[in-house]
Amino acid sequence: MLLNRESSGERWRKRRDGKEKVTGELRYLTDMTAEGMLYGRVLRSSHPHAHILSLDTSAAENYEGVVAVITHRDVPGLNRFGIAVPDQPALCEDTVRYIGDAIAAVAAITPEIAAYALSLIHVEYEVLETITDPLRALEDNAPRLHPQGNILHRTQVKHGDAGHALQNCAYVVKEVYSTPRQMHAYMETEGGLFIPEPDGRLTVYAPTQHGYKDRMQIARILDWEEERIRVISSPIGGSFGGKDELNVQPYGSLLALKSGRPVKMHNSRMESVRAGLKRHPMKIEMETGMDEYGRLQAHRVRIVADTGAYATLGAPVLNFATEHCMGPYRWEHIDIEGVSVYTNNGVSGEFRGFGGNQAIFAMEGQMDRLAEQIGMDPWEFRMLNRRYPDDPGPLQQEIWRTNGLEQVMQALAQSSLWQRREAISVLSVHDSLSDASSSPPWIKRGIGAALAMHGAGLGYGIDDPAGGRLSLNASGQIEAAFSYEEFGQGLITTLEIMLIDLFHCTGEDISIVIGDTDRVPHSGSSTASRSTTMAWMGLQRLKSPFLQAILQKAHDITGIPVDQLTTGEQGIWQITWEDDAEIRQKRVVSYREIAAAAQGNEFVFDTKFSYPTTPDEVVGGHFLYTYAAVAAEVEVNTLSGHVRLLDTYHTVAAGPVINPMGFIGQIEGGSVMALGFTLTEDAVMEEGHYITRNMDTYMIPGIQDMHTSLEVDAIEELPDNDPFGPRGIGEIGSVALAPAITAAIRQATGTWVTHLPVSRDQLIRRAGVWQQEGVSPR
Amino acid sequence: MKTTSIQWQAVINGTVREIEIPPSRRLLDILREDLDLTGTKISCEIGRCGACMVLIDGEPMNSCLMMAYQCEGTEITTIEGLHGETEDALHPIQEAFLEEGGFQCGYCTPGMIISTKALLDRLPQPEEQEIKEGLCGNLCRCTGYGGIMRAVESAADKCAQRSSLIPAVDS
Ligand code: FES
Ligand code: FES
Repeated sequence: MLLNRESSGERWRKRRDGKEKVTGELRYLTDMTAEGMLYGRVLRSSHPHAHILSLDTSAAENYEGVVAVITHRDVPGLNRFGIAVPDQPALCEDTVRYIGDAIAAVAAITPEIAAYALSLIHVEYEVLETITDPLRALEDNAPRLHPQGNILHRTQVKHGDAGHALQNCAYVVKEVYSTPRQMHAYMETEGGLFIPEPDGRLTVYAPTQHGYKDRMQIARILDWEEERIRVISSPIGGSFGGKDELNVQPYGSLLALKSGRPVKMHNSRMESVRAGLKRHPMKIEMETGMDEYGRLQAHRVRIVADTGAYATLGAPVLNFATEHCMGPYRWEHIDIEGVSVYTNNGVSGEFRGFGGNQAIFAMEGQMDRLAEQIGMDPWEFRMLNRRYPDDPGPLQQEIWRTNGLEQVMQALAQSSLWQRREAISVLSVHDSLSDASSSPPWIKRGIGAALAMHGAGLGYGIDDPAGGRLSLNASGQIEAAFSYEEFGQGLITTLEIMLIDLFHCTGEDISIVIGDTDRVPHSGSSTASRSTTMAWMGLQRLKSPFLQAILQKAHDITGIPVDQLTTGEQGIWQITWEDDAEIRQKRVVSYREIAAAAQGNEFVFDTKFSYPTTPDEVVGGHFLYTYAAVAAEVEVNTLSGHVRLLDTYHTVAAGPVINPMGFIGQIEGGSVMALGFTLTEDAVMEEGHYITRNMDTYMIPGIQDMHTSLEVDAIEELPDNDPFGPRGIGEIGSVALAPAITAAIRQATGTWVTHLPVSRDQLIRRAGVWQQEGVSPR
Repeated sequence: MKTTSIQWQAVINGTVREIEIPPSRRLLDILREDLDLTGTKISCEIGRCGACMVLIDGEPMNSCLMMAYQCEGTEITTIEGLHGETEDALHPIQEAFLEEGGFQCGYCTPGMIISTKALLDRLPQPEEQEIKEGLCGNLCRCTGYGGIMRAVESAADKCAQRSSLIPAVDS
């Protein structure tokens, strides 16, 4: 179904958190203040790699208005953080490994004094060789950035004999793809408020994608019981994976405890660029072969990921890239090796798409090149080689069977955008659409498409807890509590719609509690496209016991048999039946009255389970996959090299659409983020320093870069008895646009793109000669 | 680090505000820190993203680039000053953003709505290209701008309808 406001009917619901957002009333955590509050600032390393010879904070400490200064000596617990591997110092002791490394922090009565005090801290460095190239890091004589060396993680997938098979293939394509250091560029930079409470606890108001994980990490740094810390983590002004790891929390917490006063932290954009995570730049070498009929045979892949100075989720990202660099295709022979390497370049980590973006760009690029080699339509070529619904997953693991792949492939083939390409494919590849139109000869058009099969959840072998709480609260509202976060994706509204679906009540009958470790049960992280599925499954489990309890109470109060009672607007309604149709007669008791009659926790229900995983012992292997196909039409100006996206079609098979406004928003937003990844975004580093420091040189798409049309086609059908409900779509909109655009550029100009962001220089043609250049088959 | 302060005055959201501040203090800080009007957001601080957009005598300006002495005595409208026919009612632009899904995290939204207000005041029925020009100083990382385009189009219709039904309201 083409998704838009009209086709969504009543499900098109204004966001529950919308009014406070459009009026500016909403207090983000970085808008908060407190009585007696201090301002915290962090001193970061001047060098990307150095030893710290001495560190003197006395002048800063003595400066008027400075209340607390901290260094590594002030860390009572583990002076390290990192979700998967805690290897990043909260405050460096003797070595700095990137330009964002923290050495000291200051809390002062004004931000100006805090900033000035940083300049009074004296650090003596011994500068060491800066490793900027992962290949240099792999050399034997390279300096070791960590005790175990410079390799964070290796992956390997092998079956058959790819080396041998490639020699016997009728056609082989070999190419090296590389991708940029993309920045999340959430509009709200990292920050928060840290309050030492009179009862000896600490309240942390700071955005994250997993409040409980932050609580654990902060407790580890402070050497405290986790329960002494309360983490309030929503609302969030954007995250996209970037606020999943700790950022300012260690400094805010330590400064608040040392000064005994509330401390506010809020990174400037430049500090956010300097210290924050980025997407892993990857070099992916692929050698792919097929037989004379166009059937894929062998695939050899080498991935090198620049993980920067510290681990965070670099290892799982590489696992994900490895799993996704085979696409949704059938292979006889596979030989994949990946390595994630420490360097002195920033820190790479979790980012929407999680390594899939890079892998899918490369894989789909291979598919287009192979199709062209054998002279097949690129979509037919994919059809020919697609995996079957009963095939095992990419890592030979058991996966949940759906027809999603088939469905998105057919939908794309029938889309008007793709059919337009078909219509012009009778022209030879280097003639372009524009030849038939009235545009000037240097304007070239092309259409391309790409496919994605994207895993959800954290994968086999990684603790992936889920759960939730459903209760009738004291004020008579049906209350759902989850440890998920609202960073804009629309989770709160999705939950509201789910509850209305389940209980036929109104928005006012509902209370939704998220993002507060004191008030929500541990239901895992809001990452990996998992929270919608987990919330839906949680509510499915909680619904019956909850209903039973409140209907029983309604019966006790009214005397009406339970089978004539149901939930509805503002309370319990009596129903009668007429020809199998349920008729709601009248409200017989309000939720408030039922809540008033509650004994103890009679109406509080908890559930705990785990995100569904594959039964096969394949670390990182997924069980649930979503499928998407994307077509894009571009216009290339061969005088300037400028590429403009004209038209985009996304089809996504992710089960029922709960919240259509949120669904469209995720696909459109993911798509435009991918447009930036493809054409303009790169946090450029030189010698370990960021050259790109703010939004003037880091170019995220603006409204003027927007395509004229973007269609979102949702395929909602799932196999009968599918127990997992709606699949998350937070990432899938962002993973397949890049290869669709580069395929379109190929059709428009005859140029194959292997490096992102697309270089304009590569597309500039001298007038008159473009017909001969770069268009012949390689 | 002492700077002389001035007695600074401006009409903010219809109310005269007077405070003592250094003449070089940024309007963004006056709003967010001194007056606790945190609806105006802070993001790039170099005039690139529009999160800090306010109206100064009706013109959209980045408050991160505006110093106190530059806007002394002006009339300033922030997101908090925008409303419909009554103080509690939403402005048609706010309604349109709500109905069309013109935001997600909402962090760019106050600035986006302020820029839309300036645009529609100038061009009540903007063409697509005019909307793009009017909002090209406002970045949004979440929506991909689809919902924003739809919201602005619908806001223009709403404003037109209203002004044809009722005498002009000043908001
Ligand atoms: S904060 Fe003023 S333009 Fe970005
Ligand atoms: S809604 Fe998040 S930046 Fe625009």
